[in-house]
Amino acid sequence: MFLTVLFAALASDDRELIERLQRRDQQAMADLYDRYGRLTYALIFRIVRDGGIAEDLTQETFLRIWTRIPVFDREKGALGAWVMTVARNRAIDYVRSVQGRMRDRSVELDSSENPALFTTIEANILNTDRARRLKQAFGSLNENQRIVIELAYFEGLSQADMAERMKQPLGTVKTWCRTALIKLREELGEALTV
Amino acid sequence: MNCDELRGSYELYALGLLDEPERSEAADHLSRHCPVCTPEYQGARSLNALMSTLVSDAAPSKGLKRRILASVGVEERRGWLTWLPGIAAVAATVAAVVIGLQLREQSRERELVSAELRQMRAAVALMREPETTQVTFGKGPQGRVLVNSKRGVLLLASNLPPVGPGKTYEFWIIPKGGSPLPSGLFQSDVNGNAMHLVPGPLDVGATGAVAVSVEPDGGSPAPTTTPIIVAPLTE
Repeated sequence: MFLTVLFAALASDDRELIERLQRRDQQAMADLYDRYGRLTYALIFRIVRDGGIAEDLTQETFLRIWTRIPVFDREKGALGAWVMTVARNRAIDYVRSVQGRMRDRSVELDSSENPALFTTIEANILNTDRARRLKQAFGSLNENQRIVIELAYFEGLSQADMAERMKQPLGTVKTWCRTALIKLREELGEALTV
Repeated sequence: MNCDELRGSYELYALGLLDEPERSEAADHLSRHCPVCTPEYQGARSLNALMSTLVSDAAPSKGLKRRILASVGVEERRGWLTWLPGIAAVAATVAAVVIGLQLREQSRERELVSAELRQMRAAVALMREPETTQVTFGKGPQGRVLVNSKRGVLLLASNLPPVGPGKTYEFWIIPKGGSPLPSGLFQSDVNGNAMHLVPGPLDVGATGAVAVSVEPDGGSPAPTTTPIIVAPLTE
């Protein structure tokens, strides 16, 4: 039920919200949080597994959005996708810092948040129908495929790191990743085309 | 590698997680604006965005929204808002920055970050003192001034653009009936945020206001430009 209510709210046009944020409309920031705050927190919490840290990183996410929204493309930009990318990056960067790994990949995380990249994703990518189809598709993967997907998206592990964690050959892990992602894309089909 | 061999790779490429040799191959296809791989990459980024919906629901604390709004200088609309939660929200903001800096201390920027960390810790200590008071200011630059007789004065400002080469922001403490006293120089960051701490003690009762002006590098003994922030310490 939560997802239904959440995505019904998200389905409304973000363009007006972006325009208000760019005008520094103070209530717009509150509306942005109401629209994406809970999902942002849930995503970060999934990655960092600590409520206090998740709240701090959620705050950092919204601060970053507020700071960079002036250069976001109001007409073409996918606001929800951008917020989720910034959120995930904050969480993955934190986890990597704590674990002392892959600091050189922070530059890649930062570049993946470039607002210009979000003009080629559909503005309404986070909708109920796609979320439901993705959940079904994910459930149809085998166990190893689900594990590698989760290690990538929610722990930020490279394929080499996954192979080490799962004690499997790198080639095997690469095959699991590729097969899983092809299957997800096929299940979602036209839902992901712009 | 051909396009078909790269199918299923662009999601991890977009996340920065694809290993070699696929990583270089994918980069090469995209740099050539490959008509097959370019839309494949866009679809991959769409899938990546959608993956966030796989997480289970988790609810943050009720105070998070207020903290977030406070960190961008926005007061949540409430009929009974008091100043105490505002200070707690700002303290939480700075504490979050302290966490970030503590992590960065492990990097090559150790000395610079350590200095920042010491300042941040002093700022958090000031905010946590029970007798600390605060005033807010601004419609252009926005923020708060927190005052404590033992620990000093703390400025937290946003919407304060970097001043550029040859210039600096200068902080002034203005005694009641007196002239502005130079109280330190600072810069804002690329995001327009700034923090400046004047360590205590401070005769709060004798202090009328604080101000910020733009001055030449090295500062001035008296303001040479019209202050862009003036915050009376009694509201």
